[in-house]
Amino acid sequence: MNAFQGRVTAALADATLKIAIDRTTNTARSKRTAAIAAWPEFAKARELGRDIKDHVIANMEYYLNQFETNAKKTGAKIHWARTGQEACEIVVGICKAANAKSVTRSKSMLGEEIGLPHALEAAGIERVETDLAEHIIQLAGEAPSHIIWPALHKTREQVGELFKAHHTDPGALETVEQMVNSARRNLREKFMAADVGISGANFLIADTGAICTVTNEGNAELTTTPPRVHIVTAGIEKLVPSMVEAMTMLRLLVRSATGAELTQYTTFHTGPKRAGDVDGPEEFHIVLVDAGRTTMLAEGLAEMLRCLRCGACMNHCVVYRQIGGHAYGATYPGPMGSVITPSLDGLEKSQDLPRACTLNGQCQEVCPVAIPLPKLIRGWRTKAWVQGYEPLHTAWALRIWEFLAVRPVLYQLASNMALRIMPVFAKGGWISKMPLAGGWTRYRDMPKPQGGTFLAQYKKHQAAK
Amino acid sequence: MSNAKKAIFAAIRKALPAPASAPTIAAELTQLRARVTATRPDRVSGPPDEVFLDRVQSPGVAATAERIISWDEFPAVVMRYAEQHHLAPNIALQPHPDLEALNWGGCQTHDHIHTDETLAVGLALGGIAETGTLIFHSSPQSPTLFAFLPLHHVVAVPYKNIWSWMEDYVASFDGKSPPRNVNFVTGASGTTDIEGALVRGAHGPGWLHIVVVGAAAQ
Amino acid sequence: MKNNPPRVALFATCLVDAMRPQIGFAALALLEQVNCVVEVPMGQTCCGQPALNSGDQDGTRKIAKQNIKLLAGFDHVVVPSGSCAATIKKDYPDLFEADPVWHAKAVDLANRTYELLSYMSDLWGWRPKDVSYATTATYHDSCSGLRSLNVQAQPRKMLADVTGLELLPLEGANVCCGFGGTFCVKYPDISNAIVGEKAAAINATGAALLLGGDLGCLMNMAGKLHRDGSKVRAFHTAEILAGMGDGPAIGETA
Ligand code: SF4
Repeated sequence: MNAFQGRVTAALADATLKIAIDRTTNTARSKRTAAIAAWPEFAKARELGRDIKDHVIANMEYYLNQFETNAKKTGAKIHWARTGQEACEIVVGICKAANAKSVTRSKSMLGEEIGLPHALEAAGIERVETDLAEHIIQLAGEAPSHIIWPALHKTREQVGELFKAHHTDPGALETVEQMVNSARRNLREKFMAADVGISGANFLIADTGAICTVTNEGNAELTTTPPRVHIVTAGIEKLVPSMVEAMTMLRLLVRSATGAELTQYTTFHTGPKRAGDVDGPEEFHIVLVDAGRTTMLAEGLAEMLRCLRCGACMNHCVVYRQIGGHAYGATYPGPMGSVITPSLDGLEKSQDLPRACTLNGQCQEVCPVAIPLPKLIRGWRTKAWVQGYEPLHTAWALRIWEFLAVRPVLYQLASNMALRIMPVFAKGGWISKMPLAGGWTRYRDMPKPQGGTFLAQYKKHQAAK
Repeated sequence: MSNAKKAIFAAIRKALPAPASAPTIAAELTQLRARVTATRPDRVSGPPDEVFLDRVQSPGVAATAERIISWDEFPAVVMRYAEQHHLAPNIALQPHPDLEALNWGGCQTHDHIHTDETLAVGLALGGIAETGTLIFHSSPQSPTLFAFLPLHHVVAVPYKNIWSWMEDYVASFDGKSPPRNVNFVTGASGTTDIEGALVRGAHGPGWLHIVVVGAAAQ
Repeated sequence: MKNNPPRVALFATCLVDAMRPQIGFAALALLEQVNCVVEVPMGQTCCGQPALNSGDQDGTRKIAKQNIKLLAGFDHVVVPSGSCAATIKKDYPDLFEADPVWHAKAVDLANRTYELLSYMSDLWGWRPKDVSYATTATYHDSCSGLRSLNVQAQPRKMLADVTGLELLPLEGANVCCGFGGTFCVKYPDISNAIVGEKAAAINATGAALLLGGDLGCLMNMAGKLHRDGSKVRAFHTAEILAGMGDGPAIGETA
């Protein structure tokens, strides 16, 4: 059993996990459906969102330059990182230069992708995750299992246990309200005491040099405002031309993610503290990270760079909803992860991800920027086939079948032969066990073929006429 | 140019070997902008301040709200709010001259915000009817943390600064250099991180009360 | 079209050919009710989807070329499966993007190809007359037909004219059943978990019949229902519309 299959088996055996997945994704799906139903212009907005992202990606050099120039004018310091490691080094370097003992972090999937939590720990800097879900998994020492709800795999009971073990004066922890309050109390002083606050960016606004964060908790602003230094890490694909386009993208992003019309807090950060400001960071750094984006651009995955990280594709994925996020073994789970991960981690290692998909297309249907996820997933299968990663037995089975499929007479002979053998294994109308069919019959019965191919019967039929 | 920037741009150039000219890009962008109006949720019918009042009290935003006609009524609204919620009349008053000019007799005010502030009173720059959003621009008169640290946030917003759609707000600041922070606040803080259940007051305020000030002459 | 009845090829699909010829005969019976001349080209095997979804584009192209040649000259090509029809309509042209000659031929075939149920309804406005079946049924939308070809309202409209048949809504009718072609045998554990949920939803409707437009998905769901001891019986929609609902359902002996 390979590593992926092992994780799948474990996930499927975990009944609590399935309960947790259903609780959150069922709510997410019904809320999104309601939000889209209340927005008849959605289809048009989605096309516009797609075209805005395509426009920016096609003119990435132009907009990156524009963003850099404008951000510098506001007093932001711009850093460029080719790889995740380079980005981590830059962030750790800024923290050290600022003599930082403690940093607060507001959830950023890019941060997870480049391994920033680990890099900070390795540098001996206290890291405080401020997003409630990230706080939960930090206490549990786990990785996120969803890009919007990183602690989706945890039930309330499990969260209660964690807080009891780790919080100061948690009080009663029977209700979700009590748990949220305990986290509020425990994180309060940490927000104010941090030397550096690190956030991601949902959008980079090219014509002003602003960066946009969205949260429901308000933790991004509490992370970025009190400390002396604010560091932003952002993928270079996060650009939008201006605030106008940001508004369209926000409408699409938030409804697709949580079903709300706007997150409770949507903030545009432009440079450091101004003269007379009583709060705000003295230093404002933006680290622009490639980490595989230009590779995706070069290898035919430009459409994937539209991704807003809304999570709708995984909430609607039949596979994700059975196995959860950890089974994917990567930062990004679900359909979007099955496209991104082979590019980031290499196809050989992650070849199961694009294969473990029914290509049903619901992910594409709900994607707010119309990313053709099934097509991109199938693209990886093509590469895997060409590079010889298909397991030998299925590759040969397919080759033999293809050999027959282009030889219709032989094909009919072979079919009719097989159809004479299959009934041997049947009991009544059903086959519940048959050699070479274990993949099917382990869990399902197979109907006994009706007998003789359609073509053979049709021929007889015609002859009798 | 840093080496990293050079390498990234070289990689982009390799993948996209024929970059468009600035005028072509601008023309394309103009075409994209022409499509925005048709994509907005077409539900803002009626005066924006009325739609806004409706929207902020809708289940999705779940703030409480009221309207007063003149600024002078605002302190009384705050006092009443404090009473209703059994809060001491001790408020963090956003250091804005328009607020400071009001008569706050009967309560204690301070112009800075504590980590564990119970009640803060603020003035928003404006609002957006479409989404029921308050907008704050950071400045010496409008410190960012006023909207994030208190447990209760009572916010006045002038009815004249309520825009119909998000784009209308953007258009009215077009060409002006933005403040350090533009904060869109849409309802009280919340989280759905534990089992998708919505709980208010995660880190930011747990209660948001909005007071629209003024009304169009009848 | 009255004067010049179109010449129609029935492309039965490999699964119907091998597992359930009755669907092929049901399709013929339906096509005979509209003004067209139907033929069953003998050189047909499969649309090539298993190869395509396994990533073998070269292998798929060979099969596609064979089908393009075989189906040249027909006015319409009708397929009793949304997923196989979508392969011909959507994927064949993409496969030949780099080959202008074959691309043109693939596009030509794509334009002439139809999924059976939408063909009957959209092109001919056909409705069943004098078909009666007093029972309850629920309908599952197979993914390719639904999302690539917009097959959703047509089968329901036609089934509504079957006298006595009551259609009960299926919760999550548009959610994948976990078949996914080779997926279901490559990842049987995941597939089983998915089809398990689907079977529960089908049982919850209380319907006597499960209907759909793709034999692959129907075999998956019917096989799971049977393994779990459910009494729900499964048919291809074409069989009901053609009045063959009194025969054996999928997995029943005559
Ligand atoms: S691929 Fe689309 S649906 Fe999935 S996270 Fe990205 S934007 Fe959202």
